[in-house]
Amino acid sequence: MAHSSVVIEARNLAKQYSINAAVVSALRGVDLRIDRGEYLAILGPSGSGKSTMLQLLGGLDHPSSGTVRLLGTDLADLNDRELTRFRLTTIGFVFQRFHLLPVLTAVENVELPMAEAGRPRGQRLARARELLGYVGLASRAQHRATELSGGEMQRVAIARALANEPALILADEPTGELDQATGGQILELFDRLHRDGATIVVVTHDEHLAARAGRQVRMLDGRIDSDTHG
Amino acid sequence: MIGRWAARNAVRHPIRTGLVVLGIAVASALLLDMTMLSGGMERSFENMLLSRGFQIRMSPKGTLPFDTEATVAGVTPIVAALRSDPAIAAAGAAVGIPVHVRKADSLVTLVGYGVDPKGQGFYQVLEGSDLAPGDSAGMLVGAPAAARLGWRLGDTVRLLGRLDPQSAEAGIERLMTVRAVVRWLYDSRDQLSVGGPYRVVRAMGRFVDPDPGSMIMIKVREGHDVDSVATRLAARYPGVQVNSVAALVRQFRNRLVYFQQLSLILATISLVVAVLLVATILAITVNERLGEVAVLRAIGVTRARLVGLVLIEAAAVTAVGTGLGIGLGLVTAGWLDDILTSFPGLPAAISFFVPEPAAMFRATTVMIGAGLGAAGYPAWLAARAPIALTLRSEAE
Repeated sequence: MAHSSVVIEARNLAKQYSINAAVVSALRGVDLRIDRGEYLAILGPSGSGKSTMLQLLGGLDHPSSGTVRLLGTDLADLNDRELTRFRLTTIGFVFQRFHLLPVLTAVENVELPMAEAGRPRGQRLARARELLGYVGLASRAQHRATELSGGEMQRVAIARALANEPALILADEPTGELDQATGGQILELFDRLHRDGATIVVVTHDEHLAARAGRQVRMLDGRIDSDTHG
Repeated sequence: MIGRWAARNAVRHPIRTGLVVLGIAVASALLLDMTMLSGGMERSFENMLLSRGFQIRMSPKGTLPFDTEATVAGVTPIVAALRSDPAIAAAGAAVGIPVHVRKADSLVTLVGYGVDPKGQGFYQVLEGSDLAPGDSAGMLVGAPAAARLGWRLGDTVRLLGRLDPQSAEAGIERLMTVRAVVRWLYDSRDQLSVGGPYRVVRAMGRFVDPDPGSMIMIKVREGHDVDSVATRLAARYPGVQVNSVAALVRQFRNRLVYFQQLSLILATISLVVAVLLVATILAITVNERLGEVAVLRAIGVTRARLVGLVLIEAAAVTAVGTGLGIGLGLVTAGWLDDILTSFPGLPAAISFFVPEPAAMFRATTVMIGAGLGAAGYPAWLAARAPIALTLRSEAE
């Protein structure tokens, strides 16, 4: 496989936390490579290190040791401002609790990353509406986040994650707060995103979701236990 | 977009924000009042002394003019000499005595000023015309006396002087005609005063000296240095106290040091209160929104932008509070001034609180600066929020 197809390359990734003077190892030397267009699910029991892994891959936290290269850039080489800009333009985040800004409308939430990236208002408004249409929420564009259901909020969050056309989508338990039917709609949305060429990494407990991903990475005690395709 | 987020957040808890704005308004009002108090009295004193453009006062040594019966002896030749001085544009003597009028069965006591209209610096004609040269029966009436005694222009009244305290009999009486209603610049509020030609009023008083003056006021010609003229006159008339207005203002300032210290302390307290209010409310707000802050950081909002937002929020809350506070401060200053200037013996022209644009600008700038300073800690909280840790604790 050509080098340019690599989206993420993590080497010997480790993360330790100090909790009440005790040192806890959340990740213990993980190697992981994710190629463009892959749909990867990271599974594992609570405390296995999967959310920590996602945060390190997304540049939300710094590893205790090891490196993360995203599109060939070593995240450790970036200062805070550069890393923030890199997240803005390269990664789309989807969180378990949606984390929309409650005082903004659905369309404003989707516009936000584009506004930060400096896109002109007309352009970003058009794209925000297009993305809300893509996730099936065109009619809810002017509703505040607090007026939306859980499934709707997660769909707006996905639209927000897609706003700046990121190279990578990182989702942490995207169906964790949703009932089965609503969760199913989100899974279909992820399937569609994958078919449209997105690179997706999903952290989940949900075997059903994991089964839809093309690759499953199982974690246990801060290490990769298995890495299977299909 | 993110500005919209900050603006809507500011009104997310309207009652809480309203109370903080109100608190800042009260602190700003106090700050403004103290700013006005610290410099206003001095300026108001100076304005009062210079209101007719006379920059030098000659008075008996060791006393304030009209405060005691002490007088400057032989004022007529002194005034004549002053008027012939090329550095002096105008000079005039005044004398003050108690005079009386009968009203129904009672006797009303007034202050009677003997004035020289050619060189007077302590009244302004409000209605009617000033005393003409040679008018020995003309009288000027202060507005409070005109109102209290029901006198109008053209009325003739009987002024009594040299009253015997035992018999209440007057040693001298004069029929005087009201020529003008005036404002006596150094009178206290509601003080009853009248004025007449210097020689007439002097004759109604009991003076040991045949040519006394309570005060001589001097206007220096343009191009001449007031302090030099005052120094020269002090040397020429060693038995008399000679002060320029600037020197009197300096003496007044020294006596106001306690007022200035008090106003500084109260202004500092008001600033501390405002800083605590802004810092507390913003720290609470940022802590409440830490999850949102972490999400904003995660999706690509820089620390500098978040710091800017917190500072803008602080500036907005402080600006609204200060705007209200300026209005409140002006109202309370007027009210306090009304109380303080009603003290007996204090010239009504003196104001404790002078509403000047510079004082308002200073209070507004200091308060908004304090609000921005107070936002430092909350802004630091927002900028330093650890993204991963905060998102993890939000998810738990």
